[in-house]
Amino acid sequence: MTVVDKSVAIPGDLLSDDASRAGEGTYVEDGKVYAHYYGIINDREKIKIIPITSKYIPKRNDVIIGIVTDIGFSNWIIDINSPYDALLHISEYPERLEMYNMSKHLRIGEMIMAHISDVDYKMKTELTMQDEHAGILRNGRLIEISHNRIPRLIGRNGSMINMLHKECKCKIFVAQNGRVWLSGREENVDLACEAILKIDNEAHTSGLTDRISEFLMVNKGRIS
Amino acid sequence: MNAKPEKFIIDGLRLDGRRPDELRPLKISAGVLKRADGSCYLELGANKVMAAVYGPRQVHPRHMQDATKAIVRYRYNMASFSVGDRKRPGPDRRSIEISKVCRDAFQPVVIKERHPRLAIDVFVEVLQAGAGTRTAGINAASVALADAGIAMKSLVASCAVGKVDDTLVLDLMKEEDNYGQADMPIAVIPTTGEITLLQMDGHLTRDEFGTGFKMAMEGCQKIHEAQKEALAKCYQMKDDGGEQVGE
Amino acid sequence: MGSNNIIAEIQRDHMYNLLMRGERVDGRAFDEYRPISIETGVIARAEGSAHVKIGESQVVVGVKIQIGTPFSDTPDKGVIITNAELIPMASPSFESGPPKDYAIELARLVDRGIRESKALDLDRLCIEEGEKVWMVFIDIHALDYDGNLVDAASLGALAALLTATIPNKKYEVSDEDVQLTVREMPIAVTAIEFEGEIMVDPCLHEEAVASSRITVISNQDGSICGIQKIGTDSLTEDQVNRAVDMAINKAREIRERFFINI
Repeated sequence: MTVVDKSVAIPGDLLSDDASRAGEGTYVEDGKVYAHYYGIINDREKIKIIPITSKYIPKRNDVIIGIVTDIGFSNWIIDINSPYDALLHISEYPERLEMYNMSKHLRIGEMIMAHISDVDYKMKTELTMQDEHAGILRNGRLIEISHNRIPRLIGRNGSMINMLHKECKCKIFVAQNGRVWLSGREENVDLACEAILKIDNEAHTSGLTDRISEFLMVNKGRIS
Repeated sequence: MNAKPEKFIIDGLRLDGRRPDELRPLKISAGVLKRADGSCYLELGANKVMAAVYGPRQVHPRHMQDATKAIVRYRYNMASFSVGDRKRPGPDRRSIEISKVCRDAFQPVVIKERHPRLAIDVFVEVLQAGAGTRTAGINAASVALADAGIAMKSLVASCAVGKVDDTLVLDLMKEEDNYGQADMPIAVIPTTGEITLLQMDGHLTRDEFGTGFKMAMEGCQKIHEAQKEALAKCYQMKDDGGEQVGE
Repeated sequence: MGSNNIIAEIQRDHMYNLLMRGERVDGRAFDEYRPISIETGVIARAEGSAHVKIGESQVVVGVKIQIGTPFSDTPDKGVIITNAELIPMASPSFESGPPKDYAIELARLVDRGIRESKALDLDRLCIEEGEKVWMVFIDIHALDYDGNLVDAASLGALAALLTATIPNKKYEVSDEDVQLTVREMPIAVTAIEFEGEIMVDPCLHEEAVASSRITVISNQDGSICGIQKIGTDSLTEDQVNRAVDMAINKAREIRERFFINI
């Protein structure tokens, strides 16, 4: 078998004869590295495979945008755009609350920005809102893109998202679970959404930052 | 239904002009459905099958959950219009057995431990049946699983070998399937040669079994190449922002 | 499921803001369909078949024509049986198992269009009174559900019937297969009501947000052969009238575009 030389891997593709180079999305068998996913090959010190699309699986310390789907005895049940729901315990809310009061502060259907504080071996996922970025998101617009493309949307050292902020003049919160929340003037949010969907669609292409920059320039007249 | 042909092989060629070790024309397109997490449309000879994958996703009813890993479910179904005489909709004993052996064919490759309590659902719909629907379904399901971003050890490729006029033939067509002397579908992990599905009915000598098995293995390798090509092409199209082509 | 409804609620605000500007989520006009494609003859084993796409929604309809015995109360008439399989492939919300109420509603709606428009001449489908008649099975197979399956299924059924042949040879009725006679072209047009506005061909988002929709099936002469209001909200008389007018116009356009030459 020869080592695959291309940019996209398919499960079972041999990636390297050097087991020490096995990164995320790969596995080692008989000292060789193989692909676990249909995805993009990221060939640096380690070889990683980034799935083209996959479901968001919660990880500790991720920032997520969640939607309250139910209120339990002392927890809010939060949809995090994943097959796994998350729990926000009453004690993790920014203020001290009494149980009977829970639905007054955070209702079903409301959106929050929060951190994942713990994921156990059964994938029970717990959230916290006790840090400065956390909060309830009201009156904005929510869009969902593939969580695999969030790094592209942020860009190297935040270059892409900073450009969007600057050019679209609206608030944009990006979460690792693929949700993006925007708030501002309707036209501005429209333009930002279009740009984000463009990034989502063209994430694998090179020169993306330049193309988005050009797109924003051309459409600049639409916003105020 | 056509009557039994006098001879299945004339001058070394089969009724449809193939050599004994040749596959029927194969066409695979990945990523053809919007709602499913992964999908694949496949034509093999007269077969037309669509596969869709949902998951990993929550399991209902809850008692089917496994607290330590994901479960794989597989539903093979024939459309009522896929066969000569209309088939009554819904599962029958045949499709339930096929669903089971196909599900088992994927157990060794799907990485389940990462997703406790969830399910990976595979749906295979036979839109037109033309002998070898289970193998066509497995080949499509395999591509759909990859397209859904499911972690796998490898794809799975599947193909049947049979016997007509005392000759071993690869990838049976309708007449060979109906009136042949044997039919042996297999599914393998092409990268390792491990077998994940094996069924056989009819009559084979010990030697025929050995030789036929090798033929089927080689057929699976060819199918594996086509599966990989389809996925690479699907990526290319996403890359170009191009339109996906369906049927 | 639950969370989908909640997400639909969040989408609702966005849809409302768009509506104020006279827009829809995907930029269409209120009376505009998504792209429609109809391909016939896709299933060689069926006597008639069609693959229909409306936007990203996809259905395959197969027509099987077989010999059976007539119903005792109509011994001299052929039989139409329409069935829809909303298989779990097509949507995360569709479940395996016997057809649910929404699948039965869909099948009956398509059936009603074909039957009430008298598109098929049931008398001519009789071979031997009381003994042998042609049974026409219309099987609808949904592959991808992105809203408005009713219109896709009904277009598919009509296209499949228009291209179907009666298998005389296979059943030794005569030595020539003939085209199935289709006398009418009923077209279903579905619209949602959202904040008082009527919009045809709802996509999935719009179906989720609007609590009511209405399907109107009309004939070539602009007469109506079937109506169904689907959903939990009420409609005003004015809304119903607007939906009916829109449906008749749209049906005419679709008929002219796809079926005049079929």
